[in-house]
Amino acid sequence: MKIKKGFVLRTVCGENVIVGEGLDAINFGRMLCLNETAAWLWKQAQESGDFTAESLSQALCGEYDVTPEQALADVNETIDNWSKLGVIE
Amino acid sequence: MNKIYYIVAEHLFCVEGSESVLELLTNYKPFKTGTGNDALFCLSVAKGEPVNYIEEMRQDEEGQDIVCGHTEQGDAVFEFRWDGRTAGWLVCSAGYRQGTLYLSGFQVKAAIDNALMIQFAMASACMRTALFHAAAVSLDGKGYMFLGKSGTGKSTHARLWIQNLHGVELMNDDNPAVSVKPDGTAVVYGTPWSGKTPCYKNISAPLGGIVLLSQAPFNKIARLNGIGAYAAIVPSISGKRWDSKLADGLHDTENTLATNIPVWHLDCLPDADAAHLCKDTIAR
Repeated sequence: MKIKKGFVLRTVCGENVIVGEGLDAINFGRMLCLNETAAWLWKQAQESGDFTAESLSQALCGEYDVTPEQALADVNETIDNWSKLGVIE
Repeated sequence: MNKIYYIVAEHLFCVEGSESVLELLTNYKPFKTGTGNDALFCLSVAKGEPVNYIEEMRQDEEGQDIVCGHTEQGDAVFEFRWDGRTAGWLVCSAGYRQGTLYLSGFQVKAAIDNALMIQFAMASACMRTALFHAAAVSLDGKGYMFLGKSGTGKSTHARLWIQNLHGVELMNDDNPAVSVKPDGTAVVYGTPWSGKTPCYKNISAPLGGIVLLSQAPFNKIARLNGIGAYAAIVPSISGKRWDSKLADGLHDTENTLATNIPVWHLDCLPDADAAHLCKDTIAR
């Protein structure tokens, strides 16, 4: 999976928000608020370019004190959400 | 070719063209200044043939099309059309600092206004300045802006303030500029662009509040904070957000405004009560 072109993580009044700014995302027409973990995952996803639930949950385990099972469950939930909203492909 | 310099929202720019072209720019007269150095941008107005470019995006509003794209060399191009007929092509280089408008001869004045608005918005985006789609009024030394989609009643609400409240002046009816200062405060400026209302005033005021308008069968006002304020501001600012440099500059301005300036949402009828409620809440 990868983040769709044109979606950008912005800090708005101290909060993490995904906005559509690129040509392919300009009609997204909404803003997606991320909690701290989701924002961290977004940055990981952006850096790696191509990612899977496994690669992100591995990274999450390296950064936060969570079990691999919990990490995978969290990542799957986040990815599901992004996928439904159409910000990843 | 003659050259005239103008200052809008403290940004110096120049327009170069034949005498007959420059004579058309009566709405810019209040902003005229002597020769200057370090202009933010220059627009050269010329007659010309169609420009070849690769289309990126088009924007259609009330019979007017603006098509954005780029030449093979990478220069930004904007084509202006009214009812399907092209008025001109604006070609920009050097980070929007240099622009040439090639006129077809149709809708000459409107094409020049569009070209200057676009160049102003793009060239100033990274200088903490934003060109808004809004109506702006002043009261007791402060400026207030009314935002909303086309047809929501921004101009109507501004008129209701003028008719029903003492000491209100229209600053601009369609395209005021806002700049954010180093201390985080903001100033709203009149500009040579004001839609259908001839209100071309070289005035400014500290920005006291921003109001997003929605039509409703009642009057109600509520404060927007944080992301809500940001979401109200962003759609009202002209920009080419798929150019990431411009998007970064605009985001900086928008985020500062959302953080520091009171932003409100007014559900309203087009009546005097709406103006009173709004003023009593935001201009206390």
